[in-house]
Amino acid sequence: MTEILRTGASGRTSFASLTGSGQLVLGVLLVALCLGISAAAPQFYSEANIIAILRQCALVLIVASGMTMLIIAAEVDLSVGASLAFVGCVGMAVLNATDSLALGLVSALAFAGAVGLVNGIVVTLLRVNSLIGTIGTMMMLQGGVYLFTREAVQNHHQLASFTALGAGYWGPLPIPVIFAVAIFALCAVTLRFTTIGRYLYAVGANERAVRLSGIRSARLKLAAFVVTGLCVGVAGLILASLMNAGQPTAGRGFELTVIAAVILGGTSLTGGSGSLFGTLLGVLVLKVIDNGIIILGWNQDLQMVVPGIIIILASYFDLLRSRHHA
Amino acid sequence: MSSVTDRALGPPPVWRRLIGRQETAAFICLVALLVFFSLTADNFFSTRNFTNVLGQASLTLIAGIGCAVVFISGEVDISIGSLLATVALPLIVIMNDTNSLLLGVAGAMAVGLAVGVINGFLSAYLGINSLIVTLGMMFTLRGGVYLYTGQRAIADDAGLDSFIALSDGRLFDVLPYSAVIAIILLGVFVYVLRFRRFGRQIYAVGGNREVARLAGYDVRRVKFTCFVISSLLATCSGIILAARVGSAQHIAGLNFEFQVVAATVLGGVSLSGGIGSLGGMTLGVLILQFLSNGLRGLSLPTEWQLVITGAIIIAAVALDELKRRRAHGD
Repeated sequence: MTEILRTGASGRTSFASLTGSGQLVLGVLLVALCLGISAAAPQFYSEANIIAILRQCALVLIVASGMTMLIIAAEVDLSVGASLAFVGCVGMAVLNATDSLALGLVSALAFAGAVGLVNGIVVTLLRVNSLIGTIGTMMMLQGGVYLFTREAVQNHHQLASFTALGAGYWGPLPIPVIFAVAIFALCAVTLRFTTIGRYLYAVGANERAVRLSGIRSARLKLAAFVVTGLCVGVAGLILASLMNAGQPTAGRGFELTVIAAVILGGTSLTGGSGSLFGTLLGVLVLKVIDNGIIILGWNQDLQMVVPGIIIILASYFDLLRSRHHA
Repeated sequence: MSSVTDRALGPPPVWRRLIGRQETAAFICLVALLVFFSLTADNFFSTRNFTNVLGQASLTLIAGIGCAVVFISGEVDISIGSLLATVALPLIVIMNDTNSLLLGVAGAMAVGLAVGVINGFLSAYLGINSLIVTLGMMFTLRGGVYLYTGQRAIADDAGLDSFIALSDGRLFDVLPYSAVIAIILLGVFVYVLRFRRFGRQIYAVGGNREVARLAGYDVRRVKFTCFVISSLLATCSGIILAARVGSAQHIAGLNFEFQVVAATVLGGVSLSGGIGSLGGMTLGVLILQFLSNGLRGLSLPTEWQLVITGAIIIAAVALDELKRRRAHGD
């Protein structure tokens, strides 16, 4: 019970809880990274580069917003990478067949939402551990996308409105960034200021207690899976627009990047604690590192090594801090 | 819970105990699969095909032993796929330099040992969540392999007979050597888990950490050792894989960890620790391998394998969960 109360309190960002959490460390790390990289390579602060970083962040942040809710509720979804590729192919195929942007978008989102629903049913109704269950759906999606199409689904009609989805601008900001900000804000408000959001923390901290107090925990988890699915739908459409095709091989390893960003942001894999603000910092840190490696002209394969080490270090510091408080 | 009450009422009949186990379900599933494919697929029911499947299964089987041991101790290790690619580098490079299989294998084992020690130290002694540790390790190793190879394969120039025999040699011209190695390792670890103190400690630590600690077991040392075992066994798989493809491939073992985890869970080893057996894991590996072999015999597109495998994993775990709920009257 005290566990729920405590996590309930830490969900709100006051200055005290911010300094007590890993977010301050992460924020300092982010600033240090930006300063360090720009000192070595001034073009880091060029407009083109900042926009490139933001666009990179957008894709990850959109999916990570849903994933944060899911991990707070003590579940995880490993199928998002495979689903990302499939959604792009489905959307593009419908777009080609109907020449209608609306139908393409709706069918892609419906498909992605359905994947989320299936994941949710597997985990809540069949009670399969979500780590295993979503490995199962990941395999089915990976196989399914190749049965659906062996090659990239090319963009036949080249609708301007579809291209704008990935490459367009609204004022100075790229459209994917607008989408990311909107979805992030929606999820953040839900988590922090609504009953559903508070219940998600409670379900993650102690599902049994939540069930016994009359809240339908299964429905909450199901909703979190569907929301994650829909987020993947949006990201998949943006990715298809950016690549101007639906690629069955896209999104390989994407699930790991997303989960890494969420964990880096201080959300606990055991559920019940974490915040979207942390996830935002996690995404930014990972993508600034990615970008720095390119800008500094280092070997791009370091893009896998550095995040790997950072994830381990971040969770170690997190552990040290929580021991210190206990 | 149910096992405690069972014991209080005296031992239940053998068939009763057998029916309740996921290993039995996995065994029935395997037999059904063999009958089905023998009737439908071409060239399925033959000694040659069965020994081939055993050879193919040996990679997953060997790494699966480690995976099961780590699961039983209540932890996870998903760095094994990347480790497969990593250990091939010292192996091939040293063999190319020295023309000695022994030195190459020693180099690979040293790297595998180091990875296991790091995983074990970070998870067991520093107490970081092992999923995160091995996820980080997975990234780091794969990135390291890409860095070292420049994303190109390193060919085996030495072409030692003993090394090539690992891939196509057969004991008495029947059983592939890789399968022989897998069976020997399996035998050793079944013995250790069932009959040695250390084996019982692994179950105790995974079943209830606090009770194991109070019973005087060194929980951290047991878990640490499990990570080292897992890495060393994955190294064996990596060596066999390198022999099979005749080179060190930077993409070797991609998604391998998911296959192994799936097979292990399919065989009834619980992710939450303390429950499961190597026999079950072996059945899980064989089911998945015969399934993929049989489907190829039916000349279905290979992608169906992934779809069907995914569905079977979900169904198996769901059934197990249903059974457990019934037993608890929940």
